[in-house]
Amino acid sequence: MPTVNPELVEAFCAKAALVNAVVQELPNMEATLQYEVDVCEQKSPAEMLDDEPGTPKGPLGPNKVPTRVQKIVAAPSLDDADYAVLEKECQEKGFLCIKNGLRKYLAGIDVGLSFAEAGVAASGTCMVDNDNEDVRLAGMISEINIIVLKKSEIYPDLPSIADLLRKRMSSYLGTFTTLITGPSRTADIERVAAVGVHGPLELHIILLEDQHNA
Amino acid sequence: MHEAPGSLGDYRKQIDDALNDDFLRRTLDTFAVAYKANRKAVFEEIDEHGLIRQIADAKDDACKHMEELYEQFKGEAEKRGVIVHRAKDAEEANNIIVQIAKENKAKFIIKSKSMTAEEIQLNHALEDAGMVVDETDLGEWIIQLRHEGPSHMVMPAIHLSRYQVADDFEKETGEAQDREDIQKLVKTARVQLRRKFIAADMGISGCNFAIAENAAVTTVTNEGNARMVTTLPRVHVALVGLDKLVPTLDVALTALQVLPRNATAQRLTSYVSFINGRVNCDAAPEHKKTMHVVFLDNGRTEIAKDPVFSQIFRCVRCGACANVCPVFRLVGGHKMGYIYIGAIGLILTYFFHGKDKAKVLCQNCVGCESCANVCAGGIDLPRLIRDIRARVSEEQGGGAQAALLASVMKNRKLFHTLLKFASKAQRPFTGGEQFQRHLPAMFLGKHGFKALPAIANKAFRDMWPEMQPRPQNPTMRIAIFGGCAQDFIYPEQLKAAVKVMGAKNIAIDYPMEQTCCGLPVEMMGQRKTSVDIAKQNLAAFDPSKYDYIVTLCASCASHLKHTYPKILENDMNRAEALNFADKIIDFSSFIHDKLGMKSEDFRKTDEKVTYHASCHLCRGLKVTEAPRELIADAAEYVPCKEEDVCCGFGGTYSMKFPEISGNLMNNKIKNIDETGASRVVVDCPGCVMQIKGGMEKQGKKVKVQHISELLAENLK
Repeated sequence: MPTVNPELVEAFCAKAALVNAVVQELPNMEATLQYEVDVCEQKSPAEMLDDEPGTPKGPLGPNKVPTRVQKIVAAPSLDDADYAVLEKECQEKGFLCIKNGLRKYLAGIDVGLSFAEAGVAASGTCMVDNDNEDVRLAGMISEINIIVLKKSEIYPDLPSIADLLRKRMSSYLGTFTTLITGPSRTADIERVAAVGVHGPLELHIILLEDQHNA
Repeated sequence: MHEAPGSLGDYRKQIDDALNDDFLRRTLDTFAVAYKANRKAVFEEIDEHGLIRQIADAKDDACKHMEELYEQFKGEAEKRGVIVHRAKDAEEANNIIVQIAKENKAKFIIKSKSMTAEEIQLNHALEDAGMVVDETDLGEWIIQLRHEGPSHMVMPAIHLSRYQVADDFEKETGEAQDREDIQKLVKTARVQLRRKFIAADMGISGCNFAIAENAAVTTVTNEGNARMVTTLPRVHVALVGLDKLVPTLDVALTALQVLPRNATAQRLTSYVSFINGRVNCDAAPEHKKTMHVVFLDNGRTEIAKDPVFSQIFRCVRCGACANVCPVFRLVGGHKMGYIYIGAIGLILTYFFHGKDKAKVLCQNCVGCESCANVCAGGIDLPRLIRDIRARVSEEQGGGAQAALLASVMKNRKLFHTLLKFASKAQRPFTGGEQFQRHLPAMFLGKHGFKALPAIANKAFRDMWPEMQPRPQNPTMRIAIFGGCAQDFIYPEQLKAAVKVMGAKNIAIDYPMEQTCCGLPVEMMGQRKTSVDIAKQNLAAFDPSKYDYIVTLCASCASHLKHTYPKILENDMNRAEALNFADKIIDFSSFIHDKLGMKSEDFRKTDEKVTYHASCHLCRGLKVTEAPRELIADAAEYVPCKEEDVCCGFGGTYSMKFPEISGNLMNNKIKNIDETGASRVVVDCPGCVMQIKGGMEKQGKKVKVQHISELLAENLK
């Protein structure tokens, strides 16, 4: 049975908060899916950063580009059962829920859901398997990226995830792994910190209790 | 991009412009102070020195096995369908990448930040071939719009204000920008660049670590642009210096604990990606990304064989050497490098862009060792810069000045006679006073920022016979290494030291054959003369006769202790140099640690005394506590802001770059003034010369002394 080290969980939360990640502890997937829908409901519609022929355009957003009329939630790595639940919830709220084909929406989507294979307490980092292009895009073009991390999969520091990382990188099929620490940020103008340059404006991390523990 | 200066005169004009750039000065000042505090905080959680050592060892080892690692990487990459190229120089690399673009019918190209691409001027080559290239890192995009080069390796647009950026964005977008609001300006980039990401046919990234065991290209960014560059277009080209090869993932993970902390005081950047092989890509034929890795040599395999310079490949491009450099803080990156910036930039310019670009730039190091103190790879940067100077001056044949210097310094008697002659020749200008206050200003020019000290009427060596303490049963035997500045300009500092040490029943010797330590000529790149001087001093001292060789000059101490063994590495005198170096100790450490002097030895007064931590003491010799405790034993110690920032002396540096030296000095004096202390003490006569000269010039009343003088005055 996987074990949870409360000290690592605490350290992870503290470090993630320092880099503007929103950390939320939730008991199970059901609550996670609900959280995702709630987040999407509360946010203003995504801005469309490129033309998207055929898609209706809403009023101009804060950056003077049109916003989406229908919000989009992407969850490419969700299993079928959970996806069905999410899709149903989204339909009720009038959101478009997608699992693949994210390239059609590169102008920007509202919420993207990803899963971390591991967390790193020392820096509040999530290690995400990004081999699949849709998974990669979900964490890139969404305004809010939600990453689900099991509490039992938090490791102390970078060296302690080496074996896990090495194992996945040994595949000859080609791998793409990203260590994510907070939302997209820059300090390139006058060293003033700003979040949301090219990637997500917000990063939410759901710390999930293990099924066995729950 | 900017031009490298061709002459010192041109360079000083450029430096003047930078010094008059108020925005740049303010920005870099704030940054320098904030960076140090932030960096300290994030390093407290890890074993800084242990990790730096690990990085140094791992990268040294990788450098020795560069060819094997390249072969291994290539093999692993090919197993994963990735095409690996190797370019011998910039031109070849540019041609390969242009060819890849053509073969893939790629017209629109997006790039994430790559110093290696800057090194080979890749954008020009692509544009000349008819392609459209857009940088996507915000800072890089800004400077691309301005047709400039980066002024920092990590923050390429740190030299620009929001208003300049807003102007550029208005020009680019044709829309008015919110000129005050940086958050909005960042969003302009988000909006403008998304279309370019989507439209691009090919993405070019750099690579922080090329991991041989699994052919992974590692990108490290905050904005997330490298992920998009490597994901959205159907072709990905990674441009990689051969020095970025590391054997295993573990080396990369070790370095990743230091790189972001050192670069921007982050525990980790927002996105670190490891990419190996053709991942799926819906924009590509067969839904498989085309991936090329282009390795660049451009002199790297040659440097890798150099026993001294190969250590430059420990560099992980964090930019910390610029972040802590007091000269960078004053003049900015465009004046402190050609393409690569900061201390490492002065060195890399020589190797990657040639002697002509480097010959003037490499002079602009004050030698304060701040960079060596923070380098993620533990590179001995100040030493390598001096080595570059030595190479440059050797290649230029030295000239008349070098020949004159060599002939004077080879002969201690001649050198000392000249110094004594100067004490007489200066008399009309000093009126018998301590400063050359009447020296016509026309001779001083830009050097007039401080009053110049006068040569003492009687050198210490001439006072010594009457002064030497001769205890009956000494508990210890020491020798003093005087150094020129104290022997001939400030003998009172040595005199005070003898009074303090003499109180402890020790035998003190002052070997008369000793001469200049050689640091000034070493700084000028005159290596042969420097070695010659070192040998004279080794002959003057017999280390076996003494428990310690004490010096009151931190610069001499650091040079004698650390540089002698290095410049005599391949010399028959090496063992001698090591024995000698072993006995060298600075005055404060000797008094505090070896003689064990403490509060009961001194009369503690209520005078407020502050401290300037000399570069070569606090960083060169890593001595920080002893002098501060001694001050507190003898007076009321009041700490000074930025106590360990260079005063700007740097020996001959203050003559070569008086504008920079003067500015550093003014900052120092301002900080000392703010403490309200009536006296500042230091461990180095060079700093005394600089700070005292400045105080005198500015009519300040703060006393500037060697710590020995304070201790002698308050000795019980």
